[in-house]
Amino acid sequence: MIRLQHVTKVYSASARPALEDVTVDIAKGEFVFLVGSSGSGKSTFLRLLLKEESPTKGQVHVAGKDLARLSNWKVPALRRNIGCVFQDFRLLPNKTVFQNVAFALEVIGKGGHVVNKVVPEVLDLVGLEGKGGRMPDELSGGEQQRVAVARAFVNRPMILIADEPTGNLDPNTSVGIMKLLDRINRTGTTVVMATHDAAIVDSMRRRVVELSMGRVVRDQVRGVYGHGA
Amino acid sequence: MRASFVLSEIGIGLRRNLTMTIAVVVTTAISLALFGSALLIRSQVSTMKDFWYDKVEVSVYLCGEESTSPNCNGSAVTPEQRDQIQSDLQGSPLVQRVFYESQQEAYQRFSEQFKDSPELVQNVSADALPESFRVKLKDPTQFEVIASAIRDQPGVDEVQDQKALLENFFKLLTTLQLFALIIAGVQVFAAVLLISNTIRVAAFSRRRETGIMRLVGASNLYIQLPFLLEGVLAGLVGAVFASGGVVALKAILIDRLLKPSFPITAYVGWDAVIAVIPVLLLTGIVLSGLASFLTLRRHLRV
Repeated sequence: MIRLQHVTKVYSASARPALEDVTVDIAKGEFVFLVGSSGSGKSTFLRLLLKEESPTKGQVHVAGKDLARLSNWKVPALRRNIGCVFQDFRLLPNKTVFQNVAFALEVIGKGGHVVNKVVPEVLDLVGLEGKGGRMPDELSGGEQQRVAVARAFVNRPMILIADEPTGNLDPNTSVGIMKLLDRINRTGTTVVMATHDAAIVDSMRRRVVELSMGRVVRDQVRGVYGHGA
Repeated sequence: MRASFVLSEIGIGLRRNLTMTIAVVVTTAISLALFGSALLIRSQVSTMKDFWYDKVEVSVYLCGEESTSPNCNGSAVTPEQRDQIQSDLQGSPLVQRVFYESQQEAYQRFSEQFKDSPELVQNVSADALPESFRVKLKDPTQFEVIASAIRDQPGVDEVQDQKALLENFFKLLTTLQLFALIIAGVQVFAAVLLISNTIRVAAFSRRRETGIMRLVGASNLYIQLPFLLEGVLAGLVGAVFASGGVVALKAILIDRLLKPSFPITAYVGWDAVIAVIPVLLLTGIVLSGLASFLTLRRHLRV
């Protein structure tokens, strides 16, 4: 599903590569934690998957496509296969919960009857049934993140990318979000989650890829956050 | 592509940016109105040319007793010289028709022309006015050819082209047209900058939306179309106002003011005005569309 082969990324401004000779292979349906301190290259890793950046060296394959050969006008089609969730939720404050989720369908040209059928389904799935009419600022942080997950998942993407999804949430709320991501993973969706949250990584016991100074220093099948476990 | 979605995005964008949108509309309207006026002046010149060139004649004045031209040698034209000139004129392939005006006829015409100033007419006798041939050319621009052929013939005092008088007036109109075009050009430049700025502000104020659209895989067209149409719509509204301005120019300045005051000439008709309007609308659309498109390419990363 995702394959990075000897990928190096150097941003022109800095001397040290953000990623250096990274090789990672993620199979369909896997749940992978991407851990490492700030500046270790997690965000660059995720941006490469979305073709927001192109690697300086090496190859990136996502959903069976070589991103280097993917022409610019096909990038939107790639991104429809990848859902994204962020630490800061990125909801539209002037739209309701329902409209926020519907927005993701409307802008890829889905008609009204599809929207009216699919959006309530996904709101149920994330546990927001009956809250479609609320505005984002009327919701708690955890609920807002559920809206963001619903928006990322409404189009049933093959891959879900989560960049510190629990970074702004308290531990109890974080557990709820992780249960949600786990449920989404069980539908067959590949999940790649960058995180600093040791407790979550330790409790989930999933594959852990650790980056340090742009290099993969650990890749464990059932790992924990810290070293030597 | 769902039209309702795009339309609502345009509506939101235009309202959010109302002052800027008004500036775009006004600037576009002024520039296109000036451009339209320049086009109207051009058709006015050609209307007048059609009207007057049909009527203008070359006057070949013959020597009289008091002629000072060296060609006359101080004596009046002889009947033989007059016949020679007439047959030369009639024989020329450039000439459509020739008619002769005697001193008496010239006097009649003169007194008719200046009947409002009888003291002037009283002071002029028929002898003071030269007899002449009035020559109608097939092509009024061929004046120089006929003039050089006839000018040095014995008995010819002076060859005068009425068209030369009109040319001065046309030059004035053409200068006016040039000025209108220059000001229109400057205004167009300002309009393009304003449109570009408006689109930039719009793209910036909606970066959250466009960011999400990019992430969920909306196509470039879907992301850019609302901005593009926003610019085009503003340009189009400006062009509609400009068309109204051109119609007002024709209805008020030409039909109400100029026509009653100077009825002697022909003016541009409504057909010319109707021909100008699509040009203005198209220019408005293309101009604003191009400005928006180029701005989007720079400021809306996809």
